[in-house]
Amino acid sequence: MATVSSRPVGEPGNLTAAGLLVPATIFVAIGLLVPIAILFRYSLNAFVPGQLMVDALTIDNYVKFFTDPFYLQVLWRTVRVAIACTVFCLLFGFPLAYVLARTQSPYKNLLVMAIVLPLFVGNAVRAAGWMVAFGSKGFVNSTLMAMGVISQPIEIMYTELAVVIGIIAVNLPFMVLTLQSVIEGIDRNVEEAAFSLGAPPMTMATRVLFPLALPGILAGVILTFILAMNAYATPVLLGGPKFQTMGPLVFSTFAQQNNWPFGGAVSFILMTATLILTVASSLLIRRRYA
Amino acid sequence: MASLTLDALTKRYGDNVVVKSVSLDIRDGEFLVLLGPSGCGKTTTLRMIAGFVPPSGGSMRIGDKDITTLPPWKRNAGLVFQSYALFPHMTVNENVGFGLDMRKVDRAEITSRVAEALRLVRLEGYGERYPRQLSGGQQQRVALARALVIRPDVLLLDEPLSNLDAKLRLEVRLEIRALQQQLGLTTVMVTHDQEEALTMADRLVVMSDGAVRQVGTQSDLYERPADLFVADFVGRSTMISGAVTAPGAFRSDGGLSLSCQPSAAAGPATIALRPERLTLGAAAQGLANHATGMVTFVSYLGALLDVHVRLNDTDHVVVQIPNRSDGHVPAVGDTIEVGWPASACLVFPREAA
Repeated sequence: MATVSSRPVGEPGNLTAAGLLVPATIFVAIGLLVPIAILFRYSLNAFVPGQLMVDALTIDNYVKFFTDPFYLQVLWRTVRVAIACTVFCLLFGFPLAYVLARTQSPYKNLLVMAIVLPLFVGNAVRAAGWMVAFGSKGFVNSTLMAMGVISQPIEIMYTELAVVIGIIAVNLPFMVLTLQSVIEGIDRNVEEAAFSLGAPPMTMATRVLFPLALPGILAGVILTFILAMNAYATPVLLGGPKFQTMGPLVFSTFAQQNNWPFGGAVSFILMTATLILTVASSLLIRRRYA
Repeated sequence: MASLTLDALTKRYGDNVVVKSVSLDIRDGEFLVLLGPSGCGKTTTLRMIAGFVPPSGGSMRIGDKDITTLPPWKRNAGLVFQSYALFPHMTVNENVGFGLDMRKVDRAEITSRVAEALRLVRLEGYGERYPRQLSGGQQQRVALARALVIRPDVLLLDEPLSNLDAKLRLEVRLEIRALQQQLGLTTVMVTHDQEEALTMADRLVVMSDGAVRQVGTQSDLYERPADLFVADFVGRSTMISGAVTAPGAFRSDGGLSLSCQPSAAAGPATIALRPERLTLGAAAQGLANHATGMVTFVSYLGALLDVHVRLNDTDHVVVQIPNRSDGHVPAVGDTIEVGWPASACLVFPREAA
């Protein structure tokens, strides 16, 4: 007796679906979870100069990080830069994304391309461009001096300002594109309804537009914040050797000091800080507008 | 409540004039409908009244107050959109209360006025729900309550019924009309649905190509259309083209000699005939105009029958007769007598094209 399948013809079975998920699952497991687990194990090892790593089970590396003012300074600086970059990306990005989402212009696709275009240039290449612009005889200083705005070149290179500007330039397209797609999904009539009910533009924005754009704001903030926390090329090139942030610190601990256990600990602290602040900012934004 | 006056209101996009010098006086408490095919400028006119489209010329007044350059949030116009445009992140209460909140009305009064507005649209007890938890008809009523609760000077309705299904539309139509009369609201509605327009309006404005073709009551438009466009757009007409040869005499291109009102000016013209003014069979013979033709098509409309009759190679008419089971139903191919009085002929001189 043949059994009748309860599944309609043509509908893939559970096995097929599972089969499709296997490659990605294996990739994530091997490529992400395993290294993280190994890294975490390393971070609990002891470091003896001259030897690479000594097996141990100690939290000395974490204690070292949190008791040394230098490392705390690096962490605080990284968080500060990342928050500044994210806030400015949101402030600059929202109006841009709004215009992009609402424009009736036939050149809309060109405008979107113009936003995406910077992503075609690698971070390091872009930072090199900024170096030329920010130098004491660079574009910015020579222009300002020629215009008589300043008499002495101002110091931009190797400052926090240079790093923040550099990272904003890298992250802005991500923020704009994320916001734009969400704003496009908001019915324009809803904004007009608010206007007709007596809401001036800023009130309309805070009461109607921002709450409805919240998913986009959250996604954009999370994306740009993570990118800013983990930035490497931009702080190295524009911040210089004295302006240490967490990304470059991880690299130098591993590659230059060969201190793998401490490098592991720094990586974990960076990852955890990013995660905690991301969740915190999401909760904050959600409470404010929803 | 107040009257609304449009004076030579014009909107141009480059060389394209979408609203051509529209002047209208909407009386206090009047329900005015802007009717016309899509692209006729009716929606642009409404959006200018609401303040979303800046006029290229002309002015607007609510009562004695000039609102031409006032931004939308200072106009005190209640607006209902085709898509309802409820705030999806707010409850029904918050949606309806939004306009009062903007007017800094105190909490207690907002609560009572919102409840009152929801009672008016028969949605008591729905205040805590979100728009997505309501049916289309209920959302539409929330949108109406939200527009009414601010006690607007004018109520603007932009195709408010187009997204409802046919049966609900008939119901809501009467509800809106009843509310509007009960509250004495000065109302402007835009629609392309002439049946909707005819049932709801005090007065109608027929627009095409950005210009007003005729302003009048239902019977003005139907019985005394100003031009061929109105005769064709409002209700149904069959057209016979030809020329007025002498006072009261018309000769069709197909060779029919017809009598019409003697007031029609001589020259090329088109006659529009309302299908229900025509008579079939023996009764046709006593009328001023009668002709013999062949039935080409019969459409069965339930209570009524539409009978298409070809009179000659170029002229044909549609006759609407009551469907009585005892009567004779014409069949396709029948030869039949058609007649109509001279007064049924609406004569329009043909503009030199």
